[in-house]
Amino acid sequence: MSLTWISKLALAAGLAVMPVTGWAQSVTISYLTHWSPETVALLEAAAKDFSKTNPDVAVTVRAVPFGDLLTTLRSQGGGSDGPTIGGIYDLWLPELARDKLVAPAPEAVAGEVKGAWPAGVVSGASVGGTLYGIPNEIDVYALNYNKALFKQAGIAAPPKTWDEFKDAAKKLTNKDAGQQGFGMINSWAAGVVHPFASLLVSNGGELVKDGKPVLDSPQAGETFQLYEDLIKSGASDPAMATADANTTGPFLDNFVSGKTGMIIMANWWESALKTGMGDRFADIATAPIPVGPSGDKPHSISYSWMTVVNAKAGEAEQKAAWEFLAWLNSPKSGKNGASAMSDILMSMGILPSRGSDIEAHKDKLGSQFLSGYVSVLADAKPFPVVPGGQEFSESLQQTLEALQYRQVSAKDAQANAQADAVSILERAAK
Amino acid sequence: MTKAYRASAGIMLAPAVTLIGVFILLPMLLTVWLSFQDWSTQTPFAEASFIGLDNFREIFGSASVGRDFKGALLNTALYTALSVVLILPLSVAFGLMVYQRDVAGGTALRTVLFSTYMVPMIAVALVWSKLYSPSEGPLNQMLGLIGIGPQPWLSSPRSALVSIVFLNVWQQVGYFTVLAVAGLTQIPGSLYEAAKLDGASRREQFRFITLPLLRRTLLFSAVIAIINAVQVFEPVALITQGGPVGSTNVLTFHIRRVGIERAQGGLGSAMAVMLMLSLVVVVCALFALANRKDDE
Repeated sequence: MSLTWISKLALAAGLAVMPVTGWAQSVTISYLTHWSPETVALLEAAAKDFSKTNPDVAVTVRAVPFGDLLTTLRSQGGGSDGPTIGGIYDLWLPELARDKLVAPAPEAVAGEVKGAWPAGVVSGASVGGTLYGIPNEIDVYALNYNKALFKQAGIAAPPKTWDEFKDAAKKLTNKDAGQQGFGMINSWAAGVVHPFASLLVSNGGELVKDGKPVLDSPQAGETFQLYEDLIKSGASDPAMATADANTTGPFLDNFVSGKTGMIIMANWWESALKTGMGDRFADIATAPIPVGPSGDKPHSISYSWMTVVNAKAGEAEQKAAWEFLAWLNSPKSGKNGASAMSDILMSMGILPSRGSDIEAHKDKLGSQFLSGYVSVLADAKPFPVVPGGQEFSESLQQTLEALQYRQVSAKDAQANAQADAVSILERAAK
Repeated sequence: MTKAYRASAGIMLAPAVTLIGVFILLPMLLTVWLSFQDWSTQTPFAEASFIGLDNFREIFGSASVGRDFKGALLNTALYTALSVVLILPLSVAFGLMVYQRDVAGGTALRTVLFSTYMVPMIAVALVWSKLYSPSEGPLNQMLGLIGIGPQPWLSSPRSALVSIVFLNVWQQVGYFTVLAVAGLTQIPGSLYEAAKLDGASRREQFRFITLPLLRRTLLFSAVIAIINAVQVFEPVALITQGGPVGSTNVLTFHIRRVGIERAQGGLGSAMAVMLMLSLVVVVCALFALANRKDDE
């Protein structure tokens, strides 16, 4: 073979290999979230920082409303072109893992997470002992109240018991001014169920015990009755409680505009309150959930969020995704020993769950609004993460909304909720 | 000759028939087949297992799955009936207004009416959700000016579905007005002239000429309005999420929740089959009614 032929072959081989080498080095991964544009901008800035040291990895961010997040993950996560990374709510994990939509964390990542996060949070990101996601935020419910309205109504301190709570709600109600004492939420499953569940656990009850629903307990009966009493007395108006697909809407507008005296909500809505209230945000304070007649001390419901990796994504994409997530959640990526993820979460008033992040954000977590949430975290009970949990939640939402609109009595609501929960969880466990 | 003719007709029809078969009939048959299976939408079809009529028993049962499905079916029927009942007369009324050349501003009205149809639903939903806001919404503020108290609109299970219907009517009426105008242009002017000579009033002309001769157009409009209404999804997904108390939970939204969000593909398919059957029955009944009138 002549030299000319050899050089031609070498050139052809070089040209054929070049694009392949190029593809192997450059990886684009996508991150699906439900965050607002401002928060997405912070995540994009963090991704840019990551790309500085990892020039071959490009991270794109896509946001959908919370109401569409699970559907998007399910409809697009089944293919290699779907989002590589998804931010998910822990309740969704058992079914996403069962359907093999999310990849187990590599050993190195799992080891890091198990050492750096509290055990309870790690268990929320695991199914059958296998870790599937890197936990990031933890959310807990507490009583938010408007100090200015409390002062007007002559109430000196936030209610500690259900009797004080009902009394305060009554005093804060002024129908002529379109003002309600206690704000419930409807048209949004978690917004309806979590405040109810917080009152239930503060009354010594539970939603699910050993994988079986226990809404037929006397404690649950008292909690349904509390809802009925609040509605019947007019201290809570369901017409002021509607939420929309972005988990905003009239329930938020009414609290922001001083038409709602008290509401049970999670810490993450701090940014929405600040945006809506401006200087009047200083009027808002946080207190533990009032204790029911069968409860021993204030408890609350907590839940966590995590980032998972698409099991159907290519090997290179999965590897790059785990590397990005490990960096994003490590103390190296943020300011003053905090992770970049925790900086993003704190911008929304969301509590980070990594031990080192809590330490790094100690000062901000001591603010008037957030300290109330941090203080109830120790006694919070995780929302039950079981197969069929989302359907169970939506079914309980329907029952509670029917109670809010006086379509059923407290007694019937309790019976319906238990019967539906039994049938849903049994079917999901098959 | 006949054989050759048949062969060539077959060859010419084949591309269209194949496309219809692959993209329309096959998915429909697949949905019907899946409705008899226990299947998660996240698994291959091969993993589906035959369970007979269990999915249908469940969606018509008394447990929450059945209650939610029956509620969604009723909501869809109410939404469709209300939409059609409001859209058709309004489209004829607007059609008559913009068709009359001697009415000032007819062209402007026609443009305004049709423009609502061109606005994307996301924009319509965003604007209307604020218009309906109980505390800060302009609708309640305007009602307040004439002494009517604030209405709950989307915040009450009694009025939420009707509020979504109003939004639909507002957006769709322009399109149906165009259809009505197209129908009106088909009516010979000589009939009106003859009627005038016979002393018929405007009301009589409308009753005995316009309406009977518009029947075919109205039938077409009704079928399209029904199909559009049955497929309602965006305003529910964007504004109400099916609430409050499931009062706006329509079938398309519910099927998406069951079939995609909960991955219960078999149940979702059974619901889709019932929706398809209901639609076929309603449209066939409408055509049968129209044909009977024609025979009379």
